[in-house]
Amino acid sequence: MVIEQLTITTTPKYNFPQENINLELPRTFLELSIQSIKTSEKTFNLNNLLNFQQLTITTLENLNCLSAKVIKLKPKPDNSIVSAIDVSSIKLGETSTGFLLAIRGAIVWKQNVNYRYLRIGPFLFHVTEENKQRIYNVLRKAYFNFAHQESKAALNITSTPNIMQMQSRLTGLLEKWLQMTLTTAAKNTLILWDGSLTVGTPETPTRVVESILQTARKRENMIMAFSKATRLRLMSHRITDLLVKSRPPCLLELKGYSNVNKPIRLLGEIYVARLAKGNCTFRLDIDKEIPSEQRIEAVEKLLGNDIVSHGYPETLRLAHILCTFTANEVIAMQRFIAKKAGLNIVSQPNIRRILFGPYGKGEVDNF
Amino acid sequence: MKIYKKEGNVLQILSFPEDNIEKGDYILIEDSKARKALIAQVIDIQFANIPGMLEELLRSCPDGGNIHGEDFDPLEIAPYITYIQDSRLLICKIRASIKNEYLSPSKSWLPSRSHSIVKKLPVSRLLEMIKAKGKLPIVLGETKESSPLIIDASSLDGRLNIITGKKETGKSHLSKLLVLSLVHYGATVVIFDLNGEYAGLGYSSDGARNEYYHRIHVLTPGKNFKLMLGQLDLRVMLNILVHALRLPGTSAREFRHIWKSLKERKELSLRALGETIRNWHCNIHIRDALFSRYYALVNSGLFTDNPSEASDIEQYLFKTREKGGAVVINLRDTSSIDRQIMVEYTLGKLVELLSNWRLKAVFLFAEEAHLYLRETYWDDIVTRMRHFGIFTTFITNQPDSIRSGIYRQADNIFLFNFTNENDLEAVSRAARVDAETVKSIARDLPPHHCLVLGKAVKDFPMVVKVKRLNVKTMGGTRLFFKEKN
Repeated sequence: MVIEQLTITTTPKYNFPQENINLELPRTFLELSIQSIKTSEKTFNLNNLLNFQQLTITTLENLNCLSAKVIKLKPKPDNSIVSAIDVSSIKLGETSTGFLLAIRGAIVWKQNVNYRYLRIGPFLFHVTEENKQRIYNVLRKAYFNFAHQESKAALNITSTPNIMQMQSRLTGLLEKWLQMTLTTAAKNTLILWDGSLTVGTPETPTRVVESILQTARKRENMIMAFSKATRLRLMSHRITDLLVKSRPPCLLELKGYSNVNKPIRLLGEIYVARLAKGNCTFRLDIDKEIPSEQRIEAVEKLLGNDIVSHGYPETLRLAHILCTFTANEVIAMQRFIAKKAGLNIVSQPNIRRILFGPYGKGEVDNF
Repeated sequence: MKIYKKEGNVLQILSFPEDNIEKGDYILIEDSKARKALIAQVIDIQFANIPGMLEELLRSCPDGGNIHGEDFDPLEIAPYITYIQDSRLLICKIRASIKNEYLSPSKSWLPSRSHSIVKKLPVSRLLEMIKAKGKLPIVLGETKESSPLIIDASSLDGRLNIITGKKETGKSHLSKLLVLSLVHYGATVVIFDLNGEYAGLGYSSDGARNEYYHRIHVLTPGKNFKLMLGQLDLRVMLNILVHALRLPGTSAREFRHIWKSLKERKELSLRALGETIRNWHCNIHIRDALFSRYYALVNSGLFTDNPSEASDIEQYLFKTREKGGAVVINLRDTSSIDRQIMVEYTLGKLVELLSNWRLKAVFLFAEEAHLYLRETYWDDIVTRMRHFGIFTTFITNQPDSIRSGIYRQADNIFLFNFTNENDLEAVSRAARVDAETVKSIARDLPPHHCLVLGKAVKDFPMVVKVKRLNVKTMGGTRLFFKEKN
């Protein structure tokens, strides 16, 4: 039997699906990054900022489900390439005009028995009220060929991003860029995303995700989005709890649910996946436009070609691990900024501590 | 470098790879506002406890390290990350403080953590500060910075020294260096040479006579060194009989009478002694005991009745009085009892000459002294004999063979590599330095590198690579496969 495989060309530098991929450094991202950290600020504060490393945003909705069907799965090993994308960001400190942000993305793919990765970043940004709009629009234009203002109507966005939302917006931008790049480059590949196929939020622009899914279909790629947490419920039960008694690997197919309010749309068919023993079940979104049998087959291929430990694909787990910032990386980035931008690192007094002493725990200070 | 913590006498300093600090190095912590400085020595180097380090390492090898990849790092932050990961914590012992350019042993002062300047203190500068060189410099070798480590010969004068380390680390080499340096400055040196290693001190490595040739006197008992009984004092002979030959007290009392009788008759000879014991009116068991010791003396080959064969250690010691010199007692190929006889004789003679002020002082070098020095002599040497002018240097590869009391009283310790915990434990009892310094630094010393502790370095422990010596090597280990290799 001849198994159809992707043409993987080995470049002098990266053994990565090359067709149509533009692996030039995200130059605009880099330029903006460098420009933004050349600040006139003298100091930046560290206080409780390291506690909230933000992961990829998963949009959660309340749905009314009508029926559910359990589908048994059989692993199908066929040497399909499995790849995964994840992006992580973290605040490094505050300045008097804004905050310093680090973003990094990772693509992991499994070839034969080896995992390989491509890590992009970290990119550092000094986001202020003054530059937030420029940063956001320049990046959107550079990556998705339309600026924020132009696409406002399509996205139903009525205002420019709040500075507090800039972290998730910029993270979303890099993530979408990576997803688009990988989808365009790969062929006949299982592509795993962290999150869902819910669109219509500022971080998940409908046109962009639709475009990515369309490209994926053309290139016979299969996009599967795994959510670690969901608020979806069926008859008052959280959907991820419904598969506890079913023998893994299996899927719970949810049928007949009503769509959510505009502009939010669900571009994926929603499943609850219990892919391995243990109590871990996940929400799994697969492109709606793909026939049902192919969706199920894609999950079976995933089971046959990737390690699925605790019901979660190893490629996606590695992507998450590789993009996440460790504490020593945070220290290194702070040192980098201090050296390159001449900023002094100072510890901001903790107001809660000052006011409440040992009782001043709990929520972190925000700006 | 930055001060991180201070606990007791230990400073923890945060350092980075480019600081190029190693164990044994000195650090100067200058607090310009307080106009004071601290001198601390690095006794251990650890990785700094960076948060997230475990995650970082685990991430680099998930599932047994079966992941490879590339990083697009356009801002080139990776070097900053590795820089942080490689940061180290220097565990330092505070050795002294400086106030108004004067060194003080006071360690009660604490420098500022925020504005103190922490930098490496070159050993050459430290040696200048402590004025270790003195008027009689002895170049021990080179420090890590390739600067010479010079001590003052007078720092060995009147002192108890210990040279210790495991086999083949360079103890005898250093010992020879010290002997020749002392001889160079006119000192009298006596060496108990267990393996015949010092016999070549008068020759250079190519076999030619060196400048010390006429000042090195090698005495091999039974060969070029024999004694007539008349040269011995009764007290020395009794020491030999009682301590080396284990003669019981009652028999010793009879021997005293025999000796006095022979001396009065001016017939003190080996033959006459045998005859007298045979004819002496005493208990048969005492006679047997005396006879067995008599034959031990005869069989040692050390004693003779022939005046032309006899020599006297005095004449060699007196030769050294003018320009200095060394008397090497070659104990190689001698039995344990003969060694003890020779040592008892030599020490007895030295005490006699020193107490009469016929000798000024003697530097005694004793290799593996536990093999020939009786129990009671240890304390004698470090207390009583020091007052007579015998300044001892013990050389051993078995540090536990020297009593802990000796370590506590040692003024200088030249410590070579030890890896065994028990050995390190024994040496760490030395009073002149803390146990952590000894254990931490000595464990990592390469061959021919020595940690110098004590008065010679003004209590600033220093590591030195002992300099090469152009002296004929003697007493090498006999090898079976030497030619085949």
